[in-house]
Amino acid sequence: MEASGSFLHAILNLSLLVFVLALEAQALTPSHYLVASDVDRLQAVLSQPFTDLKSAYFSVVGLSKLGVSVADSNDACSFIKANVDSSSIEALFYAAEASQAISSCEIHVSNETRDSLHAAVSEDSTVSQIHQAVSALSSLGLPLASQEVVSALKARISKEDNVVAITLALQTASRLSQQAELGEILEEIEDLAARLDDLGGVYLQFEEGLEATALFVSAAYALSDHVDMEPPLKEDQVIQLVNSIFSKKSWDSLSEAFSVASAAAALSNNRFHKPVVVSAVGPATVSHSHPLLQLHVTDVLCQPLSSANVLVESATSVASKAAILSQTPFTLRDGIFELNFMASKPASGYYQFSVAVTGDSRLVANHVELKVKVSTKVAINNMDLSVVDKDQSIGTKTTRVEYPNKGKASFIADSHQNFAMTFQLVDETTGVELTPHQTFVRLHNQKTGQEVVFVAEPDSKNLYKFELDTAERKTEFDSISGTYALYLMVGDATLENPVLWNVADVVLKFPDEEAPSTVQSKNLYVPKPEIQHLFREPEKRPPTVLSNTFTALVLSPFLLLLILWFKLGANISNFSFSPSSVLFHVGHAAMLGLMYVYWTHLNMFQTLKYLAIIGSLTFLAGNRMLAQKAVKRTHEH
Amino acid sequence: MSLSVIAVISRFLEEYRSSTSNKLKVIDAYLLYILLTGAFQFLYCLLVGTFPFNSFLSGFISSVGSFILAVCLRIQINPQNKGDFLSVSPERAFADFLFAHTVLHLVVVNFIG
Repeated sequence: MEASGSFLHAILNLSLLVFVLALEAQALTPSHYLVASDVDRLQAVLSQPFTDLKSAYFSVVGLSKLGVSVADSNDACSFIKANVDSSSIEALFYAAEASQAISSCEIHVSNETRDSLHAAVSEDSTVSQIHQAVSALSSLGLPLASQEVVSALKARISKEDNVVAITLALQTASRLSQQAELGEILEEIEDLAARLDDLGGVYLQFEEGLEATALFVSAAYALSDHVDMEPPLKEDQVIQLVNSIFSKKSWDSLSEAFSVASAAAALSNNRFHKPVVVSAVGPATVSHSHPLLQLHVTDVLCQPLSSANVLVESATSVASKAAILSQTPFTLRDGIFELNFMASKPASGYYQFSVAVTGDSRLVANHVELKVKVSTKVAINNMDLSVVDKDQSIGTKTTRVEYPNKGKASFIADSHQNFAMTFQLVDETTGVELTPHQTFVRLHNQKTGQEVVFVAEPDSKNLYKFELDTAERKTEFDSISGTYALYLMVGDATLENPVLWNVADVVLKFPDEEAPSTVQSKNLYVPKPEIQHLFREPEKRPPTVLSNTFTALVLSPFLLLLILWFKLGANISNFSFSPSSVLFHVGHAAMLGLMYVYWTHLNMFQTLKYLAIIGSLTFLAGNRMLAQKAVKRTHEH
Repeated sequence: MSLSVIAVISRFLEEYRSSTSNKLKVIDAYLLYILLTGAFQFLYCLLVGTFPFNSFLSGFISSVGSFILAVCLRIQINPQNKGDFLSVSPERAFADFLFAHTVLHLVVVNFIG
């Protein structure tokens, strides 16, 4: 029971390990990195002539990070000495750092200056000022009280909680004595790393931008190296930082270029993480004429890793999944790693390479997947052309044509015959049969300019066949008989020599040929026939006579009404000319008139406005009038 | 059979002539006029088609609406119905009739196009 339990435990552990290893194999590799021309450009930006002390600092110190010394060090030194302003902490910082980067350039400071630098280290100065003072003191070789600096920094960090300030604090801490208590400041690296934004799993950067991210990287590694503790950055995060910092290949300002140079120096030369950049020299293609697969294996500053071992862990064919190579080393020559892949005699096609770079425990992203293409030249063998009778009664005459010659005689095929073509496509060197992506047969009528293209298909034995049934295919040819030049077109991504071969001439005779109509070359770009715009036709109206008749008819009942009313004896004899009744009738007539005017001129809003006015008058008058009538009626009764 | 129908109709007409008051007959004449107007419009539409449809609709609805309002007026004015319309005097009925017509004609003229 216990044994099976522990056995199960072991199985679980093993599967977990395998799972984790499998996951690790999918690690991120840098998609953005500096190539040699980018590094040169960076150097050129940093080598611009100095305008002031600050730009001198960026140039001199930046170039030293790239491992290059400034052009004229004496000139630079005198420039720095001439422009330093002893009352400004910032100027002292630039001067001290720059002079330290130049060999045999020393700046002397007075005691007052030294005291002012010490005074700057306090809780009342900003982190930037503390950083500048501490760096100046350190570069000038003057003593400083590390513990005071640490407490001042801790106090300032809690007040200035932004990325730039904390990065400067990290940078300051890296200049202090190793005996000082840097533990709390060291923890800030992890806190800052948590503030980085992950963009699509590819980039990791601060929202403050490229400069902040690059300065953070250089400060974090400077401090980690100083205290000899690995920074809390995972390998994938390191690669994402590489992608962010080196995605920009031209820099807006000197300070941005300086920060990139700093970060590049930090990432290529620290004790813990060394990102590796593996890229093919030119396209990753090998062939018999170029049998060597060449790789650049460099650090982020584009320096080749000469001490590393580069190994092909496995190379498998994409098509057949067969492994061609396993654990094969590259050889280093002139800073480039080479492997003679053609020596393994691979068939043409694509191969998935899994490359590992070993030799240094600091290497990050040292497993790379690479797709390599093996190209070859194609040869066409056994090109046989024949004209076959459909009823097979007459034997076939097969003619063989050798590439690149053209068949001497033309082939004649009419509606009772088929034209057939068979051939084989093989690799020129190995003789292995090939099935390229494009094998077309093109028939071109020289007189009319017509061309028809067919596809030649291989059978199960990789023998290509093409048959043209004259009667069946006459629609494609528009039934135009004549001499057609036959071309074979062979092409593929892995072929070095695509083929366009005029194999022979074929005379096709089609039945029921119409009077030779000139082939309208299917030119798509001639003006098309003009479209006449059809305006909306008005609806059909009935004849005017009918409309007029009905108008009269519809109005006629009014006459009938008047007649009936007259007969009934309706009259207006009781009409009292009181003002309210007059006003009422006038108002009512006005309302009816308004209706007519509404129909012809007005819109609803205007009508409602007028109606409100006239209506209220009519209403008041009518009210009065009807009340009078009511009184009269009740009095009568 | 047909004789009895004719007898019924003539009896009805006699009763009508004698028992209805003049006022109601005036309104009945008006109703007949409205009916005929509506009928002729509908006939025209049947003959010629519904173009323009909005005009036909507005004319026809005007006829129908007027007919209904006149019927309401007739009912309200009829002294025999006085019990049902205690709060509505004939003058009030006429005023309502005019107001409703105003609204109807506003809508009709809007729709006539």
